Amino acid sequence: MAVAIVAVGVVLLVAVVGLLVLDRRRRAATDQCADLETELERMRARAVASATHATALREALDAIPLGVIIGDRTGTVIYRNPAAALFLDARHGEALVEVAIRELIGDAIQGERTSRSLELFGPPRRVLEVQAVPLGDAGTGAGTGGLIVVEDVSDRRRLEAIRRDFVANISHELKTPVGALGLLAETLLGEDDPEVTHPLAERMVAEAFRVNRTIDDLLELSRIEAGEAPVRQPVLVQQVLDGAADRIRPAATLRSIEVVVEPGPLGLTVMGDRRQLVSAMFNLLDNAVKYSEPDHVVTLRSSAVCAEDGSAWAELAVVDQGMGIPARDLERVFERFYRVDRARSRGTGGTGLGLAIVRHVAGNHHGDVSVESQEGSGSTFRLRLPAALANEEAQAG
Amino acid sequence: MTTAADGEDMGMQPAMTDTDIRKSFHQQLDDIKHDIVRMAAIVTEAVPQGTAVLLDGDLHGAQELIEADDLLDTLALDTEERCYQLLALQQPMASDLRSIVTALRMVSEIERSGDLVVNIAKGARRIYGTTFPPRMRGLITQMGEESAKLFRIAIDAYVEHDDGKAAALPDLDDRLDALHKDYIQEIFETHGREELEIRAGVQLALIGRYYERIGDHAVNIGERVRYMVTGWLPEHTGAAREAARRQTDPPHIEPAD
Repeated sequence: MAVAIVAVGVVLLVAVVGLLVLDRRRRAATDQCADLETELERMRARAVASATHATALREALDAIPLGVIIGDRTGTVIYRNPAAALFLDARHGEALVEVAIRELIGDAIQGERTSRSLELFGPPRRVLEVQAVPLGDAGTGAGTGGLIVVEDVSDRRRLEAIRRDFVANISHELKTPVGALGLLAETLLGEDDPEVTHPLAERMVAEAFRVNRTIDDLLELSRIEAGEAPVRQPVLVQQVLDGAADRIRPAATLRSIEVVVEPGPLGLTVMGDRRQLVSAMFNLLDNAVKYSEPDHVVTLRSSAVCAEDGSAWAELAVVDQGMGIPARDLERVFERFYRVDRARSRGTGGTGLGLAIVRHVAGNHHGDVSVESQEGSGSTFRLRLPAALANEEAQAG
Repeated sequence: MTTAADGEDMGMQPAMTDTDIRKSFHQQLDDIKHDIVRMAAIVTEAVPQGTAVLLDGDLHGAQELIEADDLLDTLALDTEERCYQLLALQQPMASDLRSIVTALRMVSEIERSGDLVVNIAKGARRIYGTTFPPRMRGLITQMGEESAKLFRIAIDAYVEHDDGKAAALPDLDDRLDALHKDYIQEIFETHGREELEIRAGVQLALIGRYYERIGDHAVNIGERVRYMVTGWLPEHTGAAREAARRQTDPPHIEPAD
């Protein structure tokens, strides 16, 4: 009997303990469920966040002005931004960039950080730099792929060249005449014969004038550059052309070169500084006359043009039939002291600053200057300025 | 030597199955096309470079150009070899066959054009130090631009399968021929003014001819593209004329077979 009671007690105890355990388990399971749910929620939120994150990253990559290409560890391209699209499935010069990209992806997944610069002759001529960056821990074989960045470094290279040449050029332009003056003066010291001294003195005067012109132009340039707020008054384009043509005529006639001002659109007006504009056009004309042969015609032309965005521009062009400018120098002629042909420019007596002045005047007037040229058949310089509209003119007046 | 194709495979080629073989045939055709575009790119880049070398008297650049041709030769040999392999192993038909035959012909046109650029560079080296008058420089620049343009259009036509574009090439080439004529005239005139030595004059005349030939090769490529797209060749017109002549005039010409 007692055994039975004990047995029942034990059974009950076991049952109660079992129930308690079960209940605890159940409760624990519910807790776990809740935990799991919050965890799930958290993960979902994280997934959403990382998806937005990924979109943001992708958009950022798309917006970068550099070509960005990502290859996976087999070298297959898994991403490229729009700027890089040009170099994949490419032809012509770009096909060579593509070859470099594919080879560099190979380097990157090997864990090598390499770069290569490619000179494309185009046209347009440019220099591209292709860089390979390994992704992930490539050294331990855990690399996840390679990143390729393609950058157009033409502008940077050009600036480097400008900086490099500027110092050399300015010292050449200033030191040559000063050195000549010194030598001439030295020779003069030891001479009494007027037959000898007179030509020496003449050359001294010429050299002194040359330095003077250079310094004048440098001053003019820094004045324009300092951004002294240019006078803003309505200026008739035709008046600018006539003014500049009148100033150049004596020199042109001397070399039997004809300067023609074509009648342009009536009343075409720009806002700006008349003196600066005339001096800019004079500089262009001066060059045109210098580099023309006798009996050539230099033409001044004005026209109204409408840009793609609908804005109105006045275009002032100087067209000559001279020797033209070699293609490689075209983009550099507006630099200070840049010379296409040093030997020749000494003879023409220019300061090498004329076109730099023109470019700055154009910049001051929110316009630009450009050149087109074919060697042997002449050059066309175009000064583009925002045209003043009738109501703007009225406001200014 | 790595090619664009190597970059994609990265040496991980699994064993081929039957379906892979067909796929790989078209993959191989694509690779050939890719390499032809690449070879042509080398030439279109080399032409303006050659012009710069000539006009700037750039000896270093000339050497670079001459050496760069070795890569083109390697690519040409390699591509040609792969064309033969495809022909022998796959016995392609119809448009596939025409693509491969076209590729074979184009390889030689492109390779020859590359050689012509090398000739320009060598010519530039021979007349190093000569200054030529602006008008002649202008004409050289234009011939260089024009021949590179023809080459670019020919390759555009090839990539786009555009027989219309290819058919326009002979007319475009007329401009280059006219420039070449002016250029030869200019050499005579400059020599007449005693501004150019006869040695330099001869070299320059040859150089002009090289540009003109590059244009001709572009036209040839155009013809091959037309063949690839339509199966028709300009020579067919000549052949048809010849056949017509034989029919109207049988006694003089013995039938070929």
